[in-house]
Parts: sequence; C-alpha cells; structure tokens
Amino acid sequence: MALRFEELIERHHDEIFAYLWRLMEKERRDGASDAEDLVQDVFLRAYRSFAWLRPDSNPRAWLYKIATHCAYSKLRQIKDRHHKLSSLANSVEELGAASDGVISRNMEARVRSLMNSLPVRQKACVTLRYLQDLDYPEIAQLLGCSQESARSNVYQAIRRLRRLMEEEK
Amino acid sequence: MTTHKSKNEAAVVKQLRSALSSPTETALAHSRARVRKWFAEAAPLIQWGEMSSPLGPLFAAVNQRGLCALDFGRRENEFLARFDPLARLEKNPKALARVLAQLREYFAGDRSSFNLLVDISQLTPFQRSVLDVACRIAPGQVWTYHRLAKELGRPRASRPVGGALARNPIPIVIPCHRVVASDGSLGGYSGGTGLDAKRWLLRLEGAL
Repeated sequence: MALRFEELIERHHDEIFAYLWRLMEKERRDGASDAEDLVQDVFLRAYRSFAWLRPDSNPRAWLYKIATHCAYSKLRQIKDRHHKLSSLANSVEELGAASDGVISRNMEARVRSLMNSLPVRQKACVTLRYLQDLDYPEIAQLLGCSQESARSNVYQAIRRLRRLMEEEK
Repeated sequence: MTTHKSKNEAAVVKQLRSALSSPTETALAHSRARVRKWFAEAAPLIQWGEMSSPLGPLFAAVNQRGLCALDFGRRENEFLARFDPLARLEKNPKALARVLAQLREYFAGDRSSFNLLVDISQLTPFQRSVLDVACRIAPGQVWTYHRLAKELGRPRASRPVGGALARNPIPIVIPCHRVVASDGSLGGYSGGTGLDAKRWLLRLEGAL
C-alpha cells in the first residue's frame, strides 16, 4: 500500500521537530515557537510536493531535507535582520560575549555555545549524525552533498569540540 | 591509534548529547497536536465503513460530496490503497449508515434502486457520461454495450464504453453490471469476484 501523508506525520513529526529544535537552539528564547512554526512549514511544503515524491525514495530523508532548507532560510533571515540592525547587533554581541564569559565555566554551556557558533552546514551535519542518528549516505542525500563532504563537516565540528574539552581538562 | 581516536570521539559525542537539549514531551505533544490540526483542516476527509454481504466483505467510502467508492470481495488494505494519499482516511461507520442500510435492503431483495448522492468527479467527462447513462437501466433489465453507446450518441464507441464501465468506482449503486455483450454473454466485470459477482447480481434482480 502506498505511503499516506498522515502516516508521514505520525512516524516522523517528533524527530523532525527535535532536529529543528536543536538547529534553532541559539535562536530559542522562551518556549519552542521557532521550531513549532518551522515544523508546520516543513509538513506544509511536504504536503504540497508529496505527489512528486518517487515511490522508491526515502521519505524520512526527504523530510529532513525540507527541514534543513526551512531552518537554513529562517537562520538566514535572522542573520540578515541582525545585519540590518548592525549597531544594535554590536551591542548585543558585546552583551553575548560578556554572558558567554560568565557561562563558560559550565562545560555544557560551552559545548552549546560552540555548537551555535559552527557554520550552519557543520551544525546540521553533526546534529543529523549524532543527535538524529542518520547515516552518512542519508545525510549526503538530504543535504545534496557527497558523503566525504558530510564526513568532513562532522569531523571539523568534532575536532573543535574535542579541543574545547581538552582545554577544559 | 584508531581506538584512541574513536574513544575520544565517543567522549565528545557523549558531551555533545548531554549539552544539547531535547524538546520536552510537552513541547513535542503541543507541536504534534498543531500539525495534526492543520492536517485535519487541509486534507480532504474520506470516511469509510464495511459490512458483510453475500458477495464477501463490502467496503464503502463517502467524501463531502457523497458516496465516492464501493468495492467487495477484496481486503481492507486493497480498498484503502485506491484513495489519494494526501486525503485523511477515517473509519466511521456512522457516516456510512445510510449507504450501508440501503445496501443491506438491496441484498435482502427489499430495494431495487438507490437514493444516494454519489461523487464521480474524479472520472473523465466521457466516463461520467457513460455511468450517468448506465444509471437509466432499470433493475431486471440488461443493455448491451452497443445500446449504451447508442444512447450516449456514440454508436461506435462500444469498446470505450466497456472501458468506462470497468472504471466505475461505485459498482452496484451505479449498475454497470446491467450491461452485457451483444452475443448474449455477460461481457466483463471488474467488481469483486468478476463475472460470478455479475451473474449473482443479475439473478438477484431477476434479469437472468
């Protein structure tokens, strides 16, 4: 029996939401509104293009791909907004740096902070690999890159995290 | 060296997993409910039900316009596979009560025609016109494919008429079983058990 769209929601909503939640970690303030809006947008886009999904394709990887696009475009919007308000952004950065200094005593907060400072693609790769448990062929497929590139992105991120942990010792 | 490296990596990943939060069950449930609500509003609703019949298990489905599908002698998943995967399927015997009641009366010999709204808008205009004409065949009568084609104003279209009847999504209610071949044979039938079912229906109606 062909896959029905409602099954897609029931099977994959939770993991796609968790993925977006993690990608939007830095932007989250109170509650989950960004991830919630994004996951709804993901399923709306998926609904509109579901008819074009080939029967032999992997619907889970397809949803991750849409989710990644949605998150990228949201993060780009946020970045543009910050650029436009550059003077305000500078002061926000200073405030951020000051607060980073305070929380850096806490290793978990430092890891979080480092993750949030990674380029979006690196963050997406490492989140997909180690938090969403996707394998490299799937990551490469949904990000539209080679497996080597996906591995390299994860490697770079892990290397930075490892250094951070070594500094902490 | 490799072991050392993977051990290191495992430690980093462990740290990473503990540092990055996961959404709470409340946040997940809230979002899940929101997506389900959106889907319930966006997707067309198809309600379906089933009953046993002398021709085997019978399934029927209605949408907002009326009865849109009926089939018998097949498995549930075969019946459900025919619907648009974007639609929302809901098993709801109450929504089918009127349809199933009339079908029970028909199988008991207490009803010869149906008083139901039907939706065949998914078919082509030609297929719809063929089924519209088929509805004019009275119970107990049979027409040939050729006669139906003539009534339609397309006397040379017996074969396409047969093709359109084979795509009837609502057999029995739209009585495509009342159309037979010019040589006296039953012709074809794609519902349930095929020609056996067609013969059974025509006997029930007194046409054989």
